[in-house]
Amino acid sequence: MRSRRALVAVVAAAALALTGCSGDQSASGDRTITFMGWGSPQEVAVFEDMIAQYEDAYPGVKVDYITVPAADFGTKLQTMIASKKTPDVFYLAPENVMPWADSGIISDLSDFVADNEIFDESNVWENAISMYRYDGTTPGEGAIYGLPKDIGPFALAYNKDLFDAAGITAPEPDAPWTWDEFVAAAKKLTSGEGSEKVYGSAPYSLESAVWSNGADWLNADHTEVTVTDPAFVEALQWVADLGLVEGVVPSSEEEGSLGSFQRFLNGQIGMMGIGPWSQGQFWAEADFEWDLMPWPVSPNTGEHAVWYGGIGFAVANSSKHKDDASNLAAFLAFNEDAQRTNMEQGQAVPNLIDMAENEYLSMDKPPANKEEFLRIIQDYGRRATQTYTYNSEWFGLFNSNLASVWLGEQTAAEYTASVQEEMQSLLDEGIAEQGE
Amino acid sequence: MTSTRRASEMRRRERAWGLVFVTPISLQVLLFCIVPVGIAIAAGFTNWNVIKGTYDFVGLANFAEFLTDKKFWIAGGNTLYMLIPIPFYLLFGILFAIGCHRNTPGNRFFRVLFFLPYISSIVALVVMWKWLFNYEYGLINQVLMDWFGIQGPNWLGDPDWIKPTIVLMIVWKMIGITSIYVLAALKTIPEEYYEAARLDGAGPVRMFFKITLPLLSPAIFFLTIIGVIGSLQTFVEVQLFTEDGGRNYSAATITYYIWQKAFMSNEMGLASATAFFFALVILGVTLLQFRLSRRWVYEGA
Repeated sequence: MRSRRALVAVVAAAALALTGCSGDQSASGDRTITFMGWGSPQEVAVFEDMIAQYEDAYPGVKVDYITVPAADFGTKLQTMIASKKTPDVFYLAPENVMPWADSGIISDLSDFVADNEIFDESNVWENAISMYRYDGTTPGEGAIYGLPKDIGPFALAYNKDLFDAAGITAPEPDAPWTWDEFVAAAKKLTSGEGSEKVYGSAPYSLESAVWSNGADWLNADHTEVTVTDPAFVEALQWVADLGLVEGVVPSSEEEGSLGSFQRFLNGQIGMMGIGPWSQGQFWAEADFEWDLMPWPVSPNTGEHAVWYGGIGFAVANSSKHKDDASNLAAFLAFNEDAQRTNMEQGQAVPNLIDMAENEYLSMDKPPANKEEFLRIIQDYGRRATQTYTYNSEWFGLFNSNLASVWLGEQTAAEYTASVQEEMQSLLDEGIAEQGE
Repeated sequence: MTSTRRASEMRRRERAWGLVFVTPISLQVLLFCIVPVGIAIAAGFTNWNVIKGTYDFVGLANFAEFLTDKKFWIAGGNTLYMLIPIPFYLLFGILFAIGCHRNTPGNRFFRVLFFLPYISSIVALVVMWKWLFNYEYGLINQVLMDWFGIQGPNWLGDPDWIKPTIVLMIVWKMIGITSIYVLAALKTIPEEYYEAARLDGAGPVRMFFKITLPLLSPAIFFLTIIGVIGSLQTFVEVQLFTEDGGRNYSAATITYYIWQKAFMSNEMGLASATAFFFALVILGVTLLQFRLSRRWVYEGA
């Protein structure tokens, strides 16, 4: 690896020398590229370190790293785009790929991915890359507009101490529970009152329930809202009834007061969906044994499903130093040291397949069943439905009063019927926008 | 002859210096106020999409769009709701000011205390309030339960309670600034008026309504003007207390609606049009207040 980095430096130096011959003033070695992102203080520290490494490997390029609070990122980026000061490299959410590619904000990195000196495409999860693919009509296919910062599979974690105390054995990876078995276990785990209350499960992933039941928010080509489909309604009602009827998940009031994440860390939740980004905190704070289990399956299909998310690095089309910017994006996405640091801090599953399958799986830290994360990435995970559409206002509307179902004010059938029409018109607006 | 020439020479130089002094501030107003406002108004008549960088003149289409948007009217209703705190903080502000005005023990300490919320960062305040009003673990509901045996409402999660919670917060935040202004106004009322009234046999209640209140009316008027404008522009509380404006948009205000359209939906043209319209509404309300003020604001004999 070291020799390879040296080679990179030599190549870069040669490239510089060549441009110098052609009289380019950047030969003096002060090309500056900007990179904008957000992150926790730990993450920012990792990035600063990576950037320093990048600057060592590519002498002559300076990186101006701008960090913004996550909540302000969109506003800030938009303002920069409007004033033609788009950062060279910036965070890209999968749902923004289509509009931003169409409006020429982000560059097509396909050629760079195929031929670059930093990483080999075949060693990167295809699902991590395909979140940033777009062929001009369909997302997930065609040209690549972003490199993955990480891919976040949402896996079902459980508190092994609570399981043991209740005499429950978690299912084997290849033999997931059905929903009924899940509810039965959750009931056994639920106990106590007041501040001692233990719930069998955190609020269940609606995506997992809906998809596993063979339904979805939209039809296959994402043109029609299908939330009134009986399979969808059934899944939604099942998730709501976990609280309303079975009483095995915290109510929405309780959830609003103290999130399930904290309850789980307190040892007061039996099962909860988590992403790899939470591992570090669990290592530091959980004083119980925990592990991952496969998501339960709907008895109607026997198939399980859940979402994976992620954020990527985009290179601005307006960048004056696209090669440097692409190299920086790739360096941040795939640099082995950085990937290892993130892995060891419990922030992410490596983007690099060989590292994930060897170093990550053999790490001596929970969860023991780390393969579950990888299975979700490769096998039964899906990207969120709203990332397939031009804008996600239809999804926002769906969520706007979903609490009325969780609270039992409306049934799933009543609620979905009440929002379906307006969701469709918002979706149509998005589709029309894509056509423009 | 020479003296007039010298005078005109002086006037000329004075004028030159005057220009030098007003240029920076004029430039600032022009560049950072008039030009952006002009651009924003013009943008209101286009379909400017910041991400795409495209804009076409669309006439009044943006105005038609938000005026027929259900969310806009919900937000409008919520914005009017935010006027509710004004009479409350005026009342409490005046009471506190009168309390501090009489040299009550510890009045300086209380003055600082009342003023603290106003100078504190609104973000910090909202975070603190989020904890105070937490349904299960918040101080408020704990106290209600432990002292009175009442289960407090889900202040921030229940669409019926989120607006009253914001109103409470605005009242609490604004009492300080109100009492400081009123206190300053109180200090300007000459003691002789009260002495004369006492000689004529007026009691404290009568003196308050006949002397204090009329002489405070300009200050109260000023506070009402900035209060109404401030209330109509309520934004941070909504953005930080809720996600997406709360359940069913129950807490969203017009400024929140504008922000969402501009930065979430990338419809800067629509947002500009709404902002322009809303600015006219605020202007209208303020002019109306000035009009009405003739009936109750004491301008001096």
